[in-house]
Amino acid sequence: MESVVETVAARPRVETAAALPWYLTAMLAGSTSIVIGLLWDISWHMTIGRDTFWTPAHMAIYLGGVLAGVSCGALALKTTFAGTAAERGASVSFWGFRAPLGAWVVIWGAFAMLTSAPLDDWWHNAYGLDVEILSPPHSLLGAGMITIQIGAMLMALALQNRAPAGEGRALGLAHLYATGIVLLMAATLITEYSYPNHHHGGLFYEIACGVFPLTLVSVARSSRRRWAATTACAFYMLLACSMVWILPLFPAHPKLGPINTPVDHMVAPLFPLLLIVPALAVDFLVQRREGKRAGWRDALLIAVAFLVLFLAVQWFFSELLISPAAHNWFFASDRHWEYSSTPGPYRHQFWHPDTDPLTLRSLGIALALATVSSGTGLWRGSGLSKVQR
Amino acid sequence: MSDRLLRPLVAVAMLLAAALPAGAHVGSPNVFYDGSAGPYPVRVIVRPPVVIPGLAEITVKLGDAKADEVTVQPIQWQAGTKGAPPPDVAAPVPGAPGVWSAQLWLMIGSSYGVRVHVKGPAGVGEVLVPVTAVPSRVLEMKQGLGVVLAALGLFLFAGAVTLVVSGVRESALPPGEVPDERQRTRARMAGIVAAVLFALALWGGRSWWDSVKARARENLYKPFHVTSAARLAAGKPILALTIEDERTRDWSPLMPDHGKLMHLFLLREPGLDAFAHLHPVRQDPNRFVAALPPLPAGTYRLYADVVHESGFAQTLVDKVTLPAAPVAGAQAATEVPPDPDDSWRAVEPLAPRAVLGPKVAMLAGGGTLLWHQEPLAVNREVTLRFEARDPEGRPLPLEPYMGMLSHAVITRNDGQVFVHLHPMGTINMAAQESFAAKAGMAGMPGMPGMDHAGQAPASTVSFPYEFPQPGRYRIWVQVKSGGQVRTGVFDAEVGKP
Repeated sequence: MESVVETVAARPRVETAAALPWYLTAMLAGSTSIVIGLLWDISWHMTIGRDTFWTPAHMAIYLGGVLAGVSCGALALKTTFAGTAAERGASVSFWGFRAPLGAWVVIWGAFAMLTSAPLDDWWHNAYGLDVEILSPPHSLLGAGMITIQIGAMLMALALQNRAPAGEGRALGLAHLYATGIVLLMAATLITEYSYPNHHHGGLFYEIACGVFPLTLVSVARSSRRRWAATTACAFYMLLACSMVWILPLFPAHPKLGPINTPVDHMVAPLFPLLLIVPALAVDFLVQRREGKRAGWRDALLIAVAFLVLFLAVQWFFSELLISPAAHNWFFASDRHWEYSSTPGPYRHQFWHPDTDPLTLRSLGIALALATVSSGTGLWRGSGLSKVQR
Repeated sequence: MSDRLLRPLVAVAMLLAAALPAGAHVGSPNVFYDGSAGPYPVRVIVRPPVVIPGLAEITVKLGDAKADEVTVQPIQWQAGTKGAPPPDVAAPVPGAPGVWSAQLWLMIGSSYGVRVHVKGPAGVGEVLVPVTAVPSRVLEMKQGLGVVLAALGLFLFAGAVTLVVSGVRESALPPGEVPDERQRTRARMAGIVAAVLFALALWGGRSWWDSVKARARENLYKPFHVTSAARLAAGKPILALTIEDERTRDWSPLMPDHGKLMHLFLLREPGLDAFAHLHPVRQDPNRFVAALPPLPAGTYRLYADVVHESGFAQTLVDKVTLPAAPVAGAQAATEVPPDPDDSWRAVEPLAPRAVLGPKVAMLAGGGTLLWHQEPLAVNREVTLRFEARDPEGRPLPLEPYMGMLSHAVITRNDGQVFVHLHPMGTINMAAQESFAAKAGMAGMPGMPGMDHAGQAPASTVSFPYEFPQPGRYRIWVQVKSGGQVRTGVFDAEVGKP
């Protein structure tokens, strides 16, 4: 684990707030707009079905991309051609231009989103309008979106790391907020595998263990704030729950057929995963290694904690979610079925008990993935804690 | 992202809203209906999408009739009217009085009924036009778009690698500090690793893309696989056709169209000089037999039109060799009587070049058929109008032949286009009745039935059609007069517009 292990210096607790620079505010607003637009768009497709370029959901996504991309573009131009010595000194060079690393990451994400548009259009013409979230052009679009959000996270992190000890409270929170958006993006991209009806199967836990520990451990390791992973998960849950609670308030009807479920309000996203519970353990275990080297043994320990807690929570929570007890505005389990889905008892059952059971083998795979994910998170978190530009 | 970046997205949205071409029958995808919607005479043209889900283009032509509103609504077979989306309002086409157009999303591969509703001074009228929505083509990327996307991909790849290099080289340095050679070397190494990882990701994406493409090709619609052979039954030649396809277990049963379960056409290769329109009877669920008329020996293209209870119409395709004397070894004991509506005709082979001037075909049994030909071109909507005359040149009174005033078969010389149509268009009448019954529209004014009693005798028939591809075509037009089916044969050259 020598390559993974890095020493993170113990850092003083920061309590005072610092104002966010305009470009970071724009990046966070853009990231928020993108993720809200994405959830809105998915709900739109599940409720109304038919869309145009000009749907409000699309506008929210594009507005987010434009806001973040243009802000970072302007920042890069200013830093390159009119930046002060301090601004240029706090930037990295990219093909002769200068800007903070986070800005370049955002610009790359905006171009990736742009590239996905003609590819997605061609894709629809070649293979039919895709009704699944995961397709190659959607993955490129998703990569662009998540890259913009990672860019915002990097920007907040660099500013936090440069802030004098005892300052940067707002920057620290901005970093965790951006991480919460990244978690929401990741959770959204794996929606097709994370219905509560999947939560007694093996694949869901394998995917979750591969995806989430990386971000949770990384943020816990890189943030100056204690309980960073927990706070990021709280932001994730807050954003996700807001969409679960707000979207179904709006009346809407399908404009495509066949309509097998006669929805009359916007379909809700899935109730968020209770990542906040294993995140507490991640924070606790990462704090134990604060200022010390962390290795694969720590990664394994974190992975075990993550898997055990996540499994325990989701196993029982999913039983609630698929039951009639969750048919209410809070959990909205009766409101996340799209218009074209055929009603049936499967909605209240766990899926694929024969083909995807939770076995020792699948738990072993999940643990291995969680270990790799956690180890990578420790390594990346250590690196991120040093980001200055 | 600035306006510069938004512009391509706007263009993409406009492309998304653009029409897509369609697929069904054999190479003749567009659906035509000539008839009425209540008090309104209508011609409805549906151009189904080639991919599913995809957009169908709907055109409703009302002629001189005035209308205040025209709506169209897709009714999928299983979902019925209850599961149909709300109707879409068609827009009047500027500069084309009486023409309305709309687009409809067809979301699953299935049979649909497009309900056309017309409201105007004469009241309201409705008609259902059956459409079969199937994926029929996988689009290949044009070189120009491929180059643009490859350039963008390269830009993103280079940008991503540069991000890693820049990040490793400088991002952890205190502000103002210049990276030393060790950091530069480390950054270069990281860039190489990143390039390999990104290349692997691209390779994975390519594999994913290939699998989607392979699945799309696999899902392209193919009619049921059939085999056919000429046999002897009780010493008389018969044609035996067997459907050998596992999908028959899942699909709904066949239902009669014009009173027959199957309309089978034989066209002799290569000159298309012999033609038969037969109606095999079913011996068991997947086996059909028909008495063979006295056709010249040779290899024949076989097209068998069937329709399922779901309204899904198929044209089954095979080739069969008719020997001068059918094989005696596979003789069946039971005689297969010919269907009274069977008909056949042998004529001159398809001419090597298009024949110009008046188009007159001699009808077997006496009389002529005159084609009032409009200029033909690919994808140009035409009305194929034929006038029947007796040997003295007087109008020949026509009688219904299997419920229709006329039947026509159009095929291209290479067999890549085949369609069986009627004066009411290319639609399948049984499917239309089936959808109408499901939608509660059976018996309403404007819905066609099998009974043509009471119609004034006519001597002219017309067919709405659009030739889908350029090439040499042969057209067989069948009418009935004096109790005898008479077939006229025409050739046509269709060029690009």
